[in-house]
Amino acid sequence: MPTSTYLSSPVVTVNAVDLSDQCTGATVNINYDQLEATAFGDTSRKYVSGLGSHSVTLDFYASFAATETWATLKGLVGTSTNVIVKPTSAADSATNPGLTFTGTFLAALPIVNSLGALGTISVTFNGGVYTSDES
Amino acid sequence: MSFFIASKRLGKIGDPYTPKDGINIDALLAGGFIVRAEVSTTEEEKPAKTKPKKASKE
Repeated sequence: MPTSTYLSSPVVTVNAVDLSDQCTGATVNINYDQLEATAFGDTSRKYVSGLGSHSVTLDFYASFAATETWATLKGLVGTSTNVIVKPTSAADSATNPGLTFTGTFLAALPIVNSLGALGTISVTFNGGVYTSDES
Repeated sequence: MSFFIASKRLGKIGDPYTPKDGINIDALLAGGFIVRAEVSTTEEEKPAKTKPKKASKE
């Protein structure tokens, strides 16, 4: 049984710009390289953490109006910036951590337009330093 | 260099904006989210000096 409601009303900021009302999905991957550390005498494999290799995928509506999705993202392609995903708009806390990616890289800005549907932009930020702001 | 917020997506419009490390300022400027604080480079005009006229001697 779930013990908390997760991402029911998340806050998503990209380059300090709050794009929550244009965002429909946020997938956060916190990964570390798994380095083999097993040695002679061990009876089971052992691993240690290597480099962090994180990513954040965000799904937006493709709004081209002033200070909306396009205006926020167009200048970020090919550069690094900060992305924050929080479960709710409440202050940072242990139960509402601000998942922060500092210096994460945006390589591509794909725009999807389909007949009879709202345009969308799905972007993936890769790398950067991950921290969980809980205070 | 100082900036002011120009979009509610960033905060209260008109408030000073201090970027944190990692924020792409050029993208915020290009997107119209912030504006540079204008710094005047022209010297203010000083009021003209006027000497009180002496009363004419007759």
